[in-house]
Amino acid sequence: MQAIPWWAREGFWAKTAVFVTALSFVILIWLTFDTMKQIMAGSVRVPDYSVINQRISYVADDERGYQVPKIGPEEPLFGKKLTEEEAAALVRKGKLVIQGRNCMNCHTLLGNGAYFAPDLTKAWLDPAWGAATIREQLMVQFLMDPTNNARTFGSGRKMPNLKLTEDEAKAVVAYLKWMSAIDTNGFPYNFKPIPQGGE
Amino acid sequence: MTRVGVLDSSNLTGGQRLAVKYFTVALVLFGAQILFGLLAGLQYLKPDFLYGVLDFNVNRMVHINAMVVWMLYGFLGSVYWLMEDEAQHPVVGLKLGEIAFWVLTLAVTVVVLVYLFVQYGPGDIKTIWFINEGREYIEAPRWADIGIVVVVLVFYFNVLATFIKGRFTGIGGVIVLDLFALAGLYLAGMFFTPNISIDQYWWWWVIHLWVEATWEVLVGAIMAWGLMKTLGVSRRIVQTWLYIEVALMFGSGILGLGHHYFWIGTPDYWFEIGGFFSALEPIPLVAMVVHSLYDAGKHHMKSSNHPALAWLIAHAFGNFLGAGVWGFMHTLPQINLYTHGTQWTPSHGHLAFFGAYATINIAFFYLAAQQWRGNVYMGAGIAGAWRWKWALTLLSVGVLGMTMALLIAGYEQSFIERAINGSTWAGYFEAQNHPWFQQAMWWRQIFGWVTAAGYLLLVWDLLAIGAGETRTATRVGHESEEAEAGAEAAPATA
Amino acid sequence: MEDCDGMLQPVELQDFFITFFSAAMVILFGALYAMLFAWGRLHNRPRLVWWGYAAYAGLVAAVLTLADATHLTGLWTWLVVAMLVGYLVAPHAIWHLCQGTHAGMEDEEAAAGQGRASPVHPAQR
Repeated sequence: MQAIPWWAREGFWAKTAVFVTALSFVILIWLTFDTMKQIMAGSVRVPDYSVINQRISYVADDERGYQVPKIGPEEPLFGKKLTEEEAAALVRKGKLVIQGRNCMNCHTLLGNGAYFAPDLTKAWLDPAWGAATIREQLMVQFLMDPTNNARTFGSGRKMPNLKLTEDEAKAVVAYLKWMSAIDTNGFPYNFKPIPQGGE
Repeated sequence: MTRVGVLDSSNLTGGQRLAVKYFTVALVLFGAQILFGLLAGLQYLKPDFLYGVLDFNVNRMVHINAMVVWMLYGFLGSVYWLMEDEAQHPVVGLKLGEIAFWVLTLAVTVVVLVYLFVQYGPGDIKTIWFINEGREYIEAPRWADIGIVVVVLVFYFNVLATFIKGRFTGIGGVIVLDLFALAGLYLAGMFFTPNISIDQYWWWWVIHLWVEATWEVLVGAIMAWGLMKTLGVSRRIVQTWLYIEVALMFGSGILGLGHHYFWIGTPDYWFEIGGFFSALEPIPLVAMVVHSLYDAGKHHMKSSNHPALAWLIAHAFGNFLGAGVWGFMHTLPQINLYTHGTQWTPSHGHLAFFGAYATINIAFFYLAAQQWRGNVYMGAGIAGAWRWKWALTLLSVGVLGMTMALLIAGYEQSFIERAINGSTWAGYFEAQNHPWFQQAMWWRQIFGWVTAAGYLLLVWDLLAIGAGETRTATRVGHESEEAEAGAEAAPATA
Repeated sequence: MEDCDGMLQPVELQDFFITFFSAAMVILFGALYAMLFAWGRLHNRPRLVWWGYAAYAGLVAAVLTLADATHLTGLWTWLVVAMLVGYLVAPHAIWHLCQGTHAGMEDEEAAAGQGRASPVHPAQR
């Protein structure tokens, strides 16, 4: 009988499978700890929720070779500067609305979701709003009655009326503003943001 | 007394009877997946269709949820199917498993009805608990999440107790450990955080580590059992290869998670990790070509279930093309920067899910249909064989056609929206309105209908195949048992 | 385009097609090589194995084209090396494993064959 070499035995591969799985998992856990540190709100990559009190832009970073968010001078949302707690509560509310209205099954956020409607990662900075000064008001109006304020760009696709209250719409706008300040490694690339502050 | 050619539950063991219940619901949900996919696809072409009644987000949610759930039902069913044979012991706590099945099915029904008729809720935590969690693929509200966990625990008890009371084989061990990971990972998707980067970080744990790791291993274990039973490959060889597969899949798949961490706020070292493991992920897939050819050459394959074997071959090709070729084409960050979040993703998704998982579940449905009719002959020359052949052809052509159409749309989108127009909304719509995109969406819809036709034929065939056939299939399974006994009896070689 | 020190230099517009195409060809040539290699070895036809290596040469070309289009320089060079070595070695490794795991199988199959011939064999269930 031909002998089975050690490297082709069942026992060897059972142990290898366990070892490889465990090792990969340990590395993943270790990386997860490091990543979590870097993406907590208030870290360098993911700013604090109170960033909605400031101007956010998306500027070229020559060293990294793509655009990165830049936190600018004070520019409170809806003309009212919020405390840390108020800002956190508002952004939290915004996320709850976004989940409760199932936005992600039409839109993408950070590129994940469905592809029936535009990506929302830089919605706050999109030039389609016309002028930076009026966009927050336009966004609230649109969210509260998307059928009649539809901007279909000739596609015929309209956002359905999901009956957002004014508070909910404002929370979503705050959320979109906060999200636009996340450092997404240059995604979306080559984006042309809305001019702000006399740029 | 077995009755050949007649659908008779007395042809099945207790676990198998429960398995066919799971398979039945899986097949119904497969239909729901296709139906709601057609509705959502039509809304690309006729945006006013069902506007304000059944909007795209609802149809798309039901489309993808039905897919995840039917595949899970297929897997659970397959494990119940093989458990008793593998453990050489009747399912422990079958009654409980039976109740869990009905509870799960009731819960799924309620969740879908709420999706369809309530659709959304106010922006507070109650909506997440009772209506919709709003996170792609795992939208099921929290109450259902908890229900699913409870049901899975019952299932887990069935599996574990049966293997403990019976015998613990290598296949059994892999199933038990893999199911533990699969259930544990689900917990990573059950919390709320306002921080979308953290949200998506853990969300990918559920999605990627299910689809590209634990599901693959579960399918590998089910396949291993299937090969042993249908082709008579010896247990020692099958199990050795199962372990090799586990090592390769977990070795490349776990850190392959990195390719989802390019753009969600996570640090840029994930570029290298994700890129590296993504480039390695197809290597095992390609290398396994050698193994299948070797096996096909060494064992003289005789199959008494042609449709099942044909679907397994479709699985090999579909997995290779969908996961391997379509995955690698857009996975390196240098290009993914443009393709992430475009129709590239559904192009890859349609082919990969179908190739890797739908095919294998359908193969199992055929094994079940065969046994249910008293291990009826399903080899060459059975009556109505055109049905399964056409079902296979239409489903494969349909999915491939959709994949190609979406590929063209994705290519155009990454070019015009992303590269030229820098991903603004105006750029997005310019790409959506482009003739290439519009035509691609029509082709996608047409091939969607082809897929639907294939599905209807598949259902018909599963209900009809083997009816009135009097020959039984020859069993090869027992040979392997003896071969194994022989191998175990032989003195250890070193 | 001048080299940048960033971790990532995205693909240029005119290289999109070549990127997708060469990436697909990497996998397809990889599979073709594996197939011809296995087939040639299995049926003892060395010429097929050589055709397999020709397919691998195609893979090398595809990898290098992809590396050029996606700017796989610096740390990314290791990815190119890993792909070239990985795809070359993997079919050999799997072949050896096939032979290794199937060693002694003839005896097992003989045992199975005897089992089949034997009038008394254990009931299946």
